[in-house]
Amino acid sequence: MKVAVTSTGVGRFGKRPESLLELLAEAGREALDGIGRKPVDLLVVGHMAGGSFSGVENTAAKLADQLGLDSGAGFRIEAASASGAAAFQAAVGLVAGGGYERALVVAGEKMTDLPNAEVAKVLARSLAASEIAHGATMPALAALVASRYLRRYELGEDAFDVVSVAARAAASRNPNAQFSTAVTADEVRASRPIALPLRLLHCSAVSDGAAAVVLERATGPAGVLGLGQSTDHVELVERPELTSFRATRLAAKRAYESAHQTRKELDFAELHDAFAPFAVIDLEDIGATGAGEGAAWFRDGSTGPDGRFPVNPSGGILGRGHPVGASGLVQIAEVARQLRGESGRMALAKRPRRGLAQSIGGLGSHNFVTILGNTGVGAA
Amino acid sequence: MSSAATIAIVRCEHCHGRFLPPGGPCPRCGSSELVSGTIPAKATVLAATELLAPAAGWPNPHRLAIVEGAESVRILAIVPGDLPAPGAVVGVARVGDRYEVTGPDPERAPSSPRRPRN
Repeated sequence: MKVAVTSTGVGRFGKRPESLLELLAEAGREALDGIGRKPVDLLVVGHMAGGSFSGVENTAAKLADQLGLDSGAGFRIEAASASGAAAFQAAVGLVAGGGYERALVVAGEKMTDLPNAEVAKVLARSLAASEIAHGATMPALAALVASRYLRRYELGEDAFDVVSVAARAAASRNPNAQFSTAVTADEVRASRPIALPLRLLHCSAVSDGAAAVVLERATGPAGVLGLGQSTDHVELVERPELTSFRATRLAAKRAYESAHQTRKELDFAELHDAFAPFAVIDLEDIGATGAGEGAAWFRDGSTGPDGRFPVNPSGGILGRGHPVGASGLVQIAEVARQLRGESGRMALAKRPRRGLAQSIGGLGSHNFVTILGNTGVGAA
Repeated sequence: MSSAATIAIVRCEHCHGRFLPPGGPCPRCGSSELVSGTIPAKATVLAATELLAPAAGWPNPHRLAIVEGAESVRILAIVPGDLPAPGAVVGVARVGDRYEVTGPDPERAPSSPRRPRN
């Protein structure tokens, strides 16, 4: 049964005074307004740690109240920083299965109520206990991945700087992004060290924000073509590879198989760049480039808005901000907007027909790939 | 460190995976056919980082490395001293519930270290 994204809602990302529920409701209302407030019979909510960050639980029922969705069905989905993608994939399954006609998927996070040290502690809970016992943090493990990558492919410490520069340039065209100003490679290099080789401008920012989409049994420019996900060993040292995320590779393989597509048939992607080296690894893991070649694609403009395979025209997580639960869904909303011709100044040089969203949960331990494309008039 | 120093590991009889204790069932195949063993307490540094924004309660800077010992066992270890370069051979020890790099291996690799998988 064909399912399509028929409406989207994206709030402003950054430090917001509103509560988690207000942010979710804002994005949800925008998406509902986009379908003329037609009734929805399923509400799926994604957030990573609303209880820890915001002291809020039972979010599906509370959000239903906020949105006036009386007596419907719904629940909350959690998959660490991929919670938004997980919520989307769960909703697709339920609508495609015929149990529901029209679903509203909303995902967000409110992180700035807590001091940064507390935020880091909550985020680290998605790591393995043994990693936390060694004083590992998300940036620390990302830095170890980056360290291994640079060594393996004999690259300089500045290899990932271009990713941050590209992300901030794209974000300057996104009215909802946390960061509206571009940065230079020199500014990335001069930013303070966080976990070497990673510097501040290689790392995504603590943020508040939410996104929403409406899914219907329908065809259209943003039809759901393929879904894939995979877990991997939570402990980084248990994984056979350090410079690639197996969970992304498996998620992509499953998504391509379910879509009956290959990477060559895709026009662009929104990739999970919570840390700059991840965008490079993601590009390789979805099969766009060979191992060790991703950074060169960012350097030579291949991933720019008019390049051969545009990446993160919305600014990505580095530029948009990373309210963890929101990120997996806002990527899908931005892919849908490009396909529907609703991206404003972020629009790619050529209107795309197929796009991919890739989301990382934890430190690559639960990753998702979603492919959207035209299933309506003129579909291949 | 004496040349007899070892690190305890767990070997899976079913999938031949190797991992650190406490363990089981095997994280790779779910088997409970596990046998305790040891490997020499030296390893090759695969990756290293210096955290200048460490978690609360940890020194600033806090240094971590992923090292690989015999039988491809990988260990996340705290580095109390200077950050070793990737490729260096170091000693490693279990201290309480943590692993620590104990400095350059005094025997200094009589044969060239096995090339890591990636």
